[in-house]
Amino acid sequence: MSNNKALIQTVDLRKTYKTDAVETPALNGVSVELHKKEFTAVAGPSGSGKSTLLHLLGGLDRPTSGEIFLEGVPLSGLSKDQLARLRMTNIGFVFQAYNLIPVLTVLENTAFVLELQGVVHAERINRARKILAELGIEQYANQYPNRISGGEQQRVAVARAVVAKPSIVLADEPTANLDTATSHELIDLMRRLNQERGATFLFATHDSRLLDRVNRLVTIVDGLITGDEHHTN
Amino acid sequence: MKAAIRHLKRNRGRTILTLLAVLIPVYFLVSMFALSNSIVSDMFETATRVDTGHFQIRHVERRGMGSAIPLMHDSDSVLAALDQINGIEWRTVRLDMPALASAADRSQAIYVQGIIPEEIAPISSIADLVVKGTYLKSGQSGVVIGEELADLLNVDVGDEIILLGAHPETGLGALKVPVVGIYHAPISAMGRTIVHSTLITARALAHSPDAATAVVVRVDDVKGPWDVGKIEAVTAQLRGLLPDDLEVLDWRELAPQVSGYMGILQPVMIIFAVIFFGLGALVVLNTLYLSVMERTRELGLIIALGASRWRVIRMILTEAGLIAVIGAVYGALIAVALAWIVEAFGGIPLPGAELANYMKTFGMKSVLHMMISWPQVGISAAAMVVVALLAAWFPAYRASKLEPVEAMRYVE
Repeated sequence: MSNNKALIQTVDLRKTYKTDAVETPALNGVSVELHKKEFTAVAGPSGSGKSTLLHLLGGLDRPTSGEIFLEGVPLSGLSKDQLARLRMTNIGFVFQAYNLIPVLTVLENTAFVLELQGVVHAERINRARKILAELGIEQYANQYPNRISGGEQQRVAVARAVVAKPSIVLADEPTANLDTATSHELIDLMRRLNQERGATFLFATHDSRLLDRVNRLVTIVDGLITGDEHHTN
Repeated sequence: MKAAIRHLKRNRGRTILTLLAVLIPVYFLVSMFALSNSIVSDMFETATRVDTGHFQIRHVERRGMGSAIPLMHDSDSVLAALDQINGIEWRTVRLDMPALASAADRSQAIYVQGIIPEEIAPISSIADLVVKGTYLKSGQSGVVIGEELADLLNVDVGDEIILLGAHPETGLGALKVPVVGIYHAPISAMGRTIVHSTLITARALAHSPDAATAVVVRVDDVKGPWDVGKIEAVTAQLRGLLPDDLEVLDWRELAPQVSGYMGILQPVMIIFAVIFFGLGALVVLNTLYLSVMERTRELGLIIALGASRWRVIRMILTEAGLIAVIGAVYGALIAVALAWIVEAFGGIPLPGAELANYMKTFGMKSVLHMMISWPQVGISAAAMVVVALLAAWFPAYRASKLEPVEAMRYVE
């Protein structure tokens, strides 16, 4: 049963990976609700199931059992193409390894999701330029990803994730490849987007330096939620 | 499209390989078509100019005639019928009959073709083939024989030979005639057996002053066997005007061996096309598959961001289509350009006299030409593009089936 007030609700979510005869449980019954405009971190040690949870919430993978509701819609009933459409319109992704498309410029990478959505060229370029300016990387608009630093690439990934105004941005270890200063800058940037644009963020991290910047911290260990703290900051 | 071009530029080596996989089959196919067109055209022109015409009107064959063609005595009415229809380029009356040519103690079975020299001059190349003496003139009593027959009978220009005509309708007839010219035959069998005389001489041999065996006709604007429709249009009109005892035979019936050779060329070309296209398709499939493998992470990302399966397929097919169109166009252009260069230098001479003589037996010239046909160029290029796109389908399909999480974990 879904809670209409929740942006995302999971009910007894389980995921087990099977390779040959070996079964590896990653999530062991996760039930959680995420609300609009939250800035939430999922923390836990490596292998605790953080990334798996984000993948399932983003419709990139399917759970072994349990259900996910996105704005009240159960994801289990959606076909592959419907899931793809849902990702395109409702979810922004930021990955650990930046994952920009190497043959597209920063501007084209930022506008890529808008292109998938069928937004006309002039409008998508305009919107992409605007978000790049907001994130302070407009000067790299015509550069290819391999010509800019890791921190700048991750900012472009954030720009791409928010440009289409998705319901939620899922960021999987977004600071893992960045130095401390750049990590703080990136988290501050996402926080600003959360406060100024009302964008909802959920990011997975095991970087304890960043956890005091979130307003909700969900802790996960061995595929189970062991803590859910709300901060005021 | 922009991304496709950049992907192609990113791995130039592979792009060039794929391009060549498309370009080379198109180049070879267009070139082979051009050579084959020229060969077919040579055979057709040789057969129809020197011997059969595009069609002949003959008396309906009767039993017991052997190799002799039945005589007709109403060729004027046939000529009158031809005057009533459109599309006739040329026609003449001919009397062909089997005979024995003898000189001293040597003899050879031959075919005498009684012709009207002024009438065949505009279209027949045989006068140009005379290498010794002269060609026939009207009213002249004499024969023009092939080099091969001259060797067999051991005669030269000015020598006399005896013709012993044997037509079932008129019986035996003998004439002593001088050799006025010796020709170099385009087909060696023709040089041994075909002897030209005037129609008057042939009629004397047949003891019949108005006899003929055929009215030989050429149709306007026929460039090769591919224009058979134009010939059929004329013969269809003519059949309605002729009496029942006359029949119309087109060049395919008159020279079945020539149309047989041409018939062999078509399946050979199809086999070559299948081989070329098959090899090209394998290379395209292989290189695109490698490209998809190398870009697994990137494709996984694109799917993760929300691209539909069809969108991914379209991306890969756009790249394949781009390479295929460029490769096919360049392949066709190079083939056409080389054909023009070959023609500018007068064609490709066949190496060695033996090969030239062998080709001659099929009515072909000793110089190969390249005759470009634009529809064939277009079809070859378009077919290769389709084949390349079909070959690209499998890698494109595989790309569309990638699971985004697994694909983004992929390490090359």
